[in-house]
Amino acid sequence: MGLTDEEKVNELSKVLLEVGSLLMSSGANSSRIRITISRIAGAFGYDVDLLITHRALMMTIYDEETDFFFSRLKRTSPHGVNFRMVSGISRMSWRIVQEKWEIDQVKNELERLKSLSHYPRILVLAMVSAAGAGFCRVFGGVYLELLVTFVATFIGLYVRQEAVKKAFNPYLAIFFAAFVSSMIAGLALKMKIGPNPEYAFATSVLYLIPGIPLINSLSDLLDGNIMNGIVRGLNGLMISFAIALGMLGAVLIYGI
Amino acid sequence: MQEWLHIVDRWFWLGMGAIGFAVLFNVPKRTLLTIFLLGAFGGTLKFVVIGAGGGIILGSFFGAVLVGFASIVAAHQRHTPPFVLAIPAVIPMVPGAFAYRAMLGVIHLTEKINHDTFLKLLEETVDNGLKAFFVLAALSLGVSAPMLISRRESAKNLVVRIKRDELKSK
Repeated sequence: MGLTDEEKVNELSKVLLEVGSLLMSSGANSSRIRITISRIAGAFGYDVDLLITHRALMMTIYDEETDFFFSRLKRTSPHGVNFRMVSGISRMSWRIVQEKWEIDQVKNELERLKSLSHYPRILVLAMVSAAGAGFCRVFGGVYLELLVTFVATFIGLYVRQEAVKKAFNPYLAIFFAAFVSSMIAGLALKMKIGPNPEYAFATSVLYLIPGIPLINSLSDLLDGNIMNGIVRGLNGLMISFAIALGMLGAVLIYGI
Repeated sequence: MQEWLHIVDRWFWLGMGAIGFAVLFNVPKRTLLTIFLLGAFGGTLKFVVIGAGGGIILGSFFGAVLVGFASIVAAHQRHTPPFVLAIPAVIPMVPGAFAYRAMLGVIHLTEKINHDTFLKLLEETVDNGLKAFFVLAALSLGVSAPMLISRRESAKNLVVRIKRDELKSK
């Protein structure tokens, strides 16, 4: 093994772990992370074995013929779901295989994906609030209750975004949001706005439901990644607990 | 007529629920319409099954299976992994209300309450918790059904393989 090969493996392992940690923080499940990393490593002529946990990735990259191996560990940061990243990395991994990319090209593509814009904040707030109103409609609410849910979701999500920005504990941020949303919807319930204000109260916190942790938990369990499945499931339970505590606050204050 | 209007109205709002979450999860713009359609039709199928007496667990399962299979087909047109389409589409079916009601129940159980209220609350809490778990299991099983049945690791191989076979037969 020449020095250049070692440097190459060093670079490759950095890139692979970067890909893995981006996927983990963007909300991909464990088998997708494993498959994507193996695919990219395979395109460069190496095999990898991975230990995937919620907060760190451990990887050994090896060459079967020369019995050469290289290990590296990387922490993953919880960043919030970003499917544009997952989609971009998936497309990239296929292009690496088909177009025989160099490592520098991969690095540039990762930088480009990281710089991709999110939807404007006001659009996110409006669309998520519309989704909340949609839940209320599906429950059987009328338009007045839809409006209550819309407002409660809008302000609640705004509070959550601000709390996350101020680097509060993520569960605490969800607690604040659930509390504010149910205080608003609870006010409508207290003042008896609309025929079924309890629909608005029940659906005002649904935008916080930990859908991705819970679905990923079950799909990890199904794939046999039991440890990751349990960790993600517990994370989902903690979030549900934070939502329930927030609602409980409003319930106690209004005496509903 | 009124019945149809109701179904279309619910179809629309189910779709809104799906794209609301899609925007929150920052999906690529080209997938938004697909996610709307997947969420709307998947959710509608869920309510059709529930209306036919299938219950919420079976309903969610069939809704998720529809979303799962449709997402594989759509993934090739939209150039994105199927799960980017499927997850936001099934999120409106996630039993959020059951989950937090179960949690709220657990909190209430610790309060000083009499025996009968305790038993009634325990019954509700267990019911909500179990429903939440099984609906969730049905959802993730339904979404991954196409991959489980085809026994492939990637949807890309799945359809590329089919296309090649088609070319050969022509």
